[in-house]
Amino acid sequence: MQWMTIFKKEMLEYWRNFKWIWVPLVFILIAIMDPITTYYLPKILDTVGGLPDGAVFEMPETPPVAALMMSLTELSMFGVLVIVLTSMGLIAGERKSGVAELVLVKPVGYFTYITSKWGATLLLVWVSLIIGLLTSWYYVNLLFGDISFAALLQVIFFYGLWLTLVVSITTFVNTLFRTPGVVGFVSIAILIVMSIFNQIFSNKVTWFPNNLSSHIGDMLDSGTISGDLWGTTFIIILLIISLLFASLLTFRGKEMAN
Amino acid sequence: MEIVELLPILAPIIIIEAILAIVALVAWFKTDETNGPKWMWLLLIIFIGVIGPILFFIIGRRQQ
Amino acid sequence: MAIIKVDHLTKTFDGKYAVADLSFELSAGKCVALLGPNGAGKTTTIRMLSGLLKPSNGTISFEGMKEGGDIREHIGYLPQYPVFHSWMTGTEFLVYVGQLANLTKQQASELAQKYLERVGIADAKNQRIGKYSGGMKQRLGIAQAMIHTPQLLMLDEPVSSLDPIGRREVLTLMEELKETTTILFSTHILSDAEEVSDDLLLMHQGEIVESGSIDGLRNKHQTTKIHLAFRENVDTYLTKLREIPSISEAHLERNEIQLAVSNIDHARTDILQIASQENWPLTKFEVSRTTLEDLFMKVVKR
Repeated sequence: MQWMTIFKKEMLEYWRNFKWIWVPLVFILIAIMDPITTYYLPKILDTVGGLPDGAVFEMPETPPVAALMMSLTELSMFGVLVIVLTSMGLIAGERKSGVAELVLVKPVGYFTYITSKWGATLLLVWVSLIIGLLTSWYYVNLLFGDISFAALLQVIFFYGLWLTLVVSITTFVNTLFRTPGVVGFVSIAILIVMSIFNQIFSNKVTWFPNNLSSHIGDMLDSGTISGDLWGTTFIIILLIISLLFASLLTFRGKEMAN
Repeated sequence: MEIVELLPILAPIIIIEAILAIVALVAWFKTDETNGPKWMWLLLIIFIGVIGPILFFIIGRRQQ
Repeated sequence: MAIIKVDHLTKTFDGKYAVADLSFELSAGKCVALLGPNGAGKTTTIRMLSGLLKPSNGTISFEGMKEGGDIREHIGYLPQYPVFHSWMTGTEFLVYVGQLANLTKQQASELAQKYLERVGIADAKNQRIGKYSGGMKQRLGIAQAMIHTPQLLMLDEPVSSLDPIGRREVLTLMEELKETTTILFSTHILSDAEEVSDDLLLMHQGEIVESGSIDGLRNKHQTTKIHLAFRENVDTYLTKLREIPSISEAHLERNEIQLAVSNIDHARTDILQIASQENWPLTKFEVSRTTLEDLFMKVVKR
């Protein structure tokens, strides 16, 4: 099956260019940095001796949920950046270098080509996310207090959808331009605009994708999945599907050679 | 609190950074062409923790 | 029997014609050269035939292809500058594109092995393509175009980027391949076309200006020429020569008169007769035959 052929080729490529090693590692670092520094900062300051004798460094207690949410905040910033930068050449790179000319002259459906590459990136992203959040969860339990494993799975599932949307946006932009740098730039610009939009209108548009993290935080606090979380999930899935079909449409309109 | 007491917690981070750097060095060694002078990337990987290797992985290599 | 039929094929880029109203047929089992100077529209034509570019107008129909079928199943294509995944080995790449052409992994592996040997790079099959030389890449390119045994093999300038040795190797390979496959290849070098192809499509400024079998074209355009040189007053003799009926064309080139004649025997008698009667100061009388090269040059300069 052609879909699996391209998917497997991407997997092999991720091994050869070490993505399978460095992306999960970087996700771990991103996920655990904030909880760990938050916990140890007072103690580190103490050890280094930055404070005069007798001064007591009081920090408000961080609840475990807040600590885990720190991981999501960092992932939304640096994790997303890593995803965009590693997948900006997903399709554009092959078109720019000219390999696409050899691949697409074989009877490969464009949708197969796009979705198999999209799927391969998703596997990498989801595995990295799971490893990163598992590590973070381990540290949070150790340092801040208990969060149930079931709750962690819910976080992974819902937050994974947000990262899936990020991959889908980058995939779509990949079909628009043939220079990876431009793809990266435009994808990041789109994400920034979405974030600004969300900051301005978050109260009015509660199902906007960027609200997902705050709904996940509510879920952790209350222990129940709110209607808003489901609503946002629904919107995100709808957007992902639309983006994939939009990718197909733009790709069909492109000439495969210059 | 002693620095020694921090080690069990910080060790994983240090190990991860070390693996990143080593893998980046292997990749650096195997790469034929880099964007910019190759020796510069060696310095970046070795002397700038985490960011150096990541930058190398993302934009250092010329890929096809 | 025609394997592919092209009707009024046209491609414009930003309103400019790259290929204008091309119609031709390719017969099964032939090796056809698409010959023309740079910028004639050869690459654009081949890319349209391979489905990589969409025609602005016109149709391409394949023998045996159903309505709405995928043209790419029937063709193999080698771009002028093939680019591969340099991190893959030769075998891996062939198996990859073979599977993309709907072969099973098993079939693709067997055919990959077969074509790696056929094109002569079996020794390097487990080497990274990044380490291949230009000639090896070109041969790997031919192998990847052949892997799914297409009915038509299209090669875009297969030898122009190679050194003399690589060029010889690839031309020899094409000689072998044409025994079993229909080949269309583009080139801007006449001698390459003459060497391996049966038929010729001569292209210039987006149009086909001449086509036919190499031998047929040679005969058709093989006119006999007479070159005359005079000690003085060349122009006067030019006028006089133009009045001789057996001379179809006369013009001056580098102070020599060139005559195109239909019947060399009549023309020679006529010229020598008038020359001796009027005592022309002839310094040279030479008979030559035009070649395809002249035809090519005539077309290119037009």
